[in-house]
Amino acid sequence: MKMENNFFTRNTKTFLLIPAVIICFAILLSIFGLGLNAGIDFTGGSLLTYNVGEDYDMSVVETALKTAGISEYQNFKTGSGSVRTTLEVRTKDLGDQSETLRMAFEDELEKTYPNLSFITIDTVGATAGRDLVSNAVMSCLIVFVCLLIYIAIRFDLYSGVTALVALLHDICIMVSFMVFFRGLYQVNTSFIAAMLTIIGYSINNTIIIFDRIRENNRLLAYKEGSRKRVVEASVRQTLSRTVNTTITTLITLVVLYILGVDSIKEFVFPLIVGMLAGVYSSVMLSGQIWAHWVDRQIFAPITNLFKRNRGAVKKA
Amino acid sequence: MKTKSLVTLCVTLLLIVLIGALAINGLQIGKYIVKPVGRAISLGLDLRGGIYAVYQGDTSADDFDAQMDATVTIMINRLTAEGYTEATVTRQGSDRIRIEIPDVQDPNEILTIVGTPAHLTFVDPNGEIILEGDDVKLASPAYDSNDGNKPIIAFELNDEGTKAFAEATAKFVGQVISIKLDETTLTAPVVQSAIPEGRGIINGFSDIQQAATIANLIMSGALPLNITLIESSAVSATLGVDALSTSLTAGIIGVILIMLFMIAMYRIPGVVADLALCIYMLIVFYALALVPGVQLTLPGIAGILLGIGMAVDGNVIIFERFREEYKAGRSIEAAAQRGYKNALSSIIDSNVTTIIAAIVLVRFGTGSVKGFAITLLIGVVVSMLSSIVITRFLLNRATRLGVEGEKLWTR
Repeated sequence: MKMENNFFTRNTKTFLLIPAVIICFAILLSIFGLGLNAGIDFTGGSLLTYNVGEDYDMSVVETALKTAGISEYQNFKTGSGSVRTTLEVRTKDLGDQSETLRMAFEDELEKTYPNLSFITIDTVGATAGRDLVSNAVMSCLIVFVCLLIYIAIRFDLYSGVTALVALLHDICIMVSFMVFFRGLYQVNTSFIAAMLTIIGYSINNTIIIFDRIRENNRLLAYKEGSRKRVVEASVRQTLSRTVNTTITTLITLVVLYILGVDSIKEFVFPLIVGMLAGVYSSVMLSGQIWAHWVDRQIFAPITNLFKRNRGAVKKA
Repeated sequence: MKTKSLVTLCVTLLLIVLIGALAINGLQIGKYIVKPVGRAISLGLDLRGGIYAVYQGDTSADDFDAQMDATVTIMINRLTAEGYTEATVTRQGSDRIRIEIPDVQDPNEILTIVGTPAHLTFVDPNGEIILEGDDVKLASPAYDSNDGNKPIIAFELNDEGTKAFAEATAKFVGQVISIKLDETTLTAPVVQSAIPEGRGIINGFSDIQQAATIANLIMSGALPLNITLIESSAVSATLGVDALSTSLTAGIIGVILIMLFMIAMYRIPGVVADLALCIYMLIVFYALALVPGVQLTLPGIAGILLGIGMAVDGNVIIFERFREEYKAGRSIEAAAQRGYKNALSSIIDSNVTTIIAAIVLVRFGTGSVKGFAITLLIGVVVSMLSSIVITRFLLNRATRLGVEGEKLWTR
């Protein structure tokens, strides 16, 4: 494959357009009520308790639920002692059809376990309450501020801001794909974990590119002219590392996705999307945005402030 | 030089095999038992199940709904503080609270973990509540030197509590103010004089242990509501038994594929990376078993798998730099030295950013966010160690073996 020698820096507008379109489309869908599909962890729902009357196989219960048309559930086998006969089924709020669906499920399950008896139905709140979500959001904001400070010190302010833009991009893409695939995957607590993982992982990729840019900036050949040249060279030099690392990280995730049960897929899918988004943003966007801003010195008022302060300290 | 390196590498390999076997099978020498590491790692509700308990809230309380929510929050904080980061607390029905705690099999243990609910009140002679447990800023067990060294709790009130207590003690001089824990009256002292500074003691404990336990319960957030345990039972793994074995199979297949990929891509350095990866995994698994606050859940497992990918990343960065230097015509040894030197800043900066993120999440996160962050932190710290120390050590030995040939060192 032959690429033009400024492939990565010439088409930045197109590279920006693709995620922009994806995110706008997801926002549009959300406005029309087809946003994220919140799972039981966030919505709570109903808790059905049964005595099955004998030891039972959970897969039979799952099949019965699916046959009855209940698609979103979590099952628990409870009780004390070695033989546990109590069954708890947690479902999202079933609405008007609650009774019909429940009957259908019970009829189906009684085919295998005739001694089944219904004990109670109860409502349960969300396990991931508003507290968990607001705590996760707050923690992430603190993470962003700390990363900005660290990168601004080790690299420069432009790199810090760009890295955060890239991170936001990756998260937005993840959320967007969860919107697109709302029919297949619900958003449960594991999605929060997936987002945190991607925040940790994706910043890595961006830093590797910035590290190479920092190194190349010191070379005589790149001292003059637009920073775009440095970015182009740096992206190319790190490309085989980016590709190989992505392959090694994706291998386990893809295997897990192929072998995994539904709830594993629900977790691994956004991880794979987030990882690919992270690679895209670090190769196609972060360096380029950095170069664009450095060339125009858009943060000059702020960076000058720091330079002047430093001078003042020295004089004193 | 050559034989020394060869011996070092062989010893390393032998150690990996031995420790690996120990991790898988465990060991028993006399009375000393080393558990297989897999069994020593605590697993979350989704993978191994645990116990659940349902508490009934006292519906006669004022502002019942808000108090229930507050109780749930306090329960979560208390469990997180106890190291049960993956426990869940939810409201069930309108007036009950459901708690699920992973990796505990005996339902009776719920009492020792959650503790008996401690609702502390100070009640005036007319039966009006003056202040409650959440007005207590500090409570610690002590011996009362003025009264035969009996066990007491010394407490300090917050501003609001101090004000209320000062007013009440001024008003009821010579009368009794009782201090109640739930429905039990701990002590009913006669007010000698007004207490304006918000400090005091509670006596009436049988021993110092009891005083310490109750002081702890008061400090860990007294519940704003009276609740009683109505039901507790064992609960199976949420994801079913398959989830754990599936993830393990996926992990093993994934790791084998990564190892083959590294050898295909980087040849001898690839073998070095595979050895380093084995060491990495052993350290991570032992760390997960030993660090408190880790209950491995499905996200945690995926976090580890991802951590493996990141550990390999450090090697990839070093080897790519090695290849650049080697292709530029340097000797294998010199290329390895320079490759490592060039890669170091990349590896440090990229890992430190992730470590910062993980530390912030451990510090500020609650519940599963915190649990996940601990797993992530272990993974990244060990990964950085692995690339900076282990890979370098092994690569240096490998370059001194005297094995030549371009095809063996680069693709």
